[in-house]
Amino acid sequence: MSMLALNDGPSRILTLPRRKSVFVVVNSSELSDEDLLVRIGAGDRTAFEAIFNRYAPRVKSYLMRLGAGAAAAEDLAQEAMISVWRRAASYDAAKAKPSTWVFVIARNAWIDRLRREKVALAYQLANPPIEESQEEAPDAAVVRRGDESRVADALAELSEEQRQVVRLSFFEDNSHSEIAARLSLPLGTVKSRLRLALTKLRAHWEQYS
Amino acid sequence: MSPRHHPSADILASYATGTLDPGFGLVVGVHVGSCAKCRAQVSAFEATSGAALNDLPQAQLASGALAQTLARLDQIRFRPVAPDTRPLLERLPLEPKRWVAPGVWVAAVNTPRSAEDRVYVLSVGKSALTARHEHSGAEFCVVLKGAYRDELGVFAAGDFAFADSDVNHQPVVEGDQDCICLFATEGRLKPHGLIGRLAFELADV
Repeated sequence: MSMLALNDGPSRILTLPRRKSVFVVVNSSELSDEDLLVRIGAGDRTAFEAIFNRYAPRVKSYLMRLGAGAAAAEDLAQEAMISVWRRAASYDAAKAKPSTWVFVIARNAWIDRLRREKVALAYQLANPPIEESQEEAPDAAVVRRGDESRVADALAELSEEQRQVVRLSFFEDNSHSEIAARLSLPLGTVKSRLRLALTKLRAHWEQYS
Repeated sequence: MSPRHHPSADILASYATGTLDPGFGLVVGVHVGSCAKCRAQVSAFEATSGAALNDLPQAQLASGALAQTLARLDQIRFRPVAPDTRPLLERLPLEPKRWVAPGVWVAAVNTPRSAEDRVYVLSVGKSALTARHEHSGAEFCVVLKGAYRDELGVFAAGDFAFADSDVNHQPVVEGDQDCICLFATEGRLKPHGLIGRLAFELADV
């Protein structure tokens, strides 16, 4: 594996198992998340630190929004990052963006915790990219990657107001009335905005399926 | 055959973002596992959530979080787990079956749940009659085996059904196989008629 990347920024020095003495200079902040995950898959801790620093605080933030207390969110975020370490070798950039991949790991950590690991079923069934990555046909993978850019397209078609309610409702798990209170809007407006946004998103996907 | 009855987009979105209660997520997961179309939508919502993750404010981590995590990496022992390929019904942690009427059994799924939520498998034989009932809260259902028919049409393996307090229906088994479904309900079912009330009482659903 060639890991040589020279640059001017602050850098770390890793020592590879000795034959001749070889120094590999890596500046992790210059690498894309995809590259970092590939390196983590090969056991590179420096790359792991970079991914940890980038994602762990956000994963914790996400978990707290789902209702985890600060201590549980901290613990689960660490657990999720350990899963990132363990599973990185199976990461496939053709199938999912790093942010999607990390998100799914964090979400599954949360669901498993909710179930106290008794029923680790639903999300394993539903998410072959992580659990059964070998079984997905290559053409299906292309569709998945395509889905992601389509989401970006679809979201771009929403108005700022619609994006906001979609975000508050699904990503931050607010009830319709909480959103109404937060945005100082009548409940009916929140509901119709959300319905409209989802109809638009769905119409966008249905063009392709 | 791919399923014909699907969860709505907001259900799929809640499922993908992790905001659905686990019992409800279990039901949706069974459908999504057998429906390529919904799987694509879930992937799309996951991608959206991944993008949103990047925009989230960064929570303050405990001091030494990175060092602690790195130390935990050293303790990992890789124990590859063979994927469990048994049919779903065998994998579900079911409590003992309870026969509640001729040809009808119920088994609770052993999953942590809040006081009012129920997750259970219901099997109805081809000649059994189900009670007409309405719902006091949301109910998610996915057909695991066989098929049933109600006012909305025929629901076969993989099909997803949603009911809430607006729905008052009397499902009947379609075809000559027993119909087995997985349910998650919020609040108790309200059966109509004495036999219905008795059966639901026995079934503790």
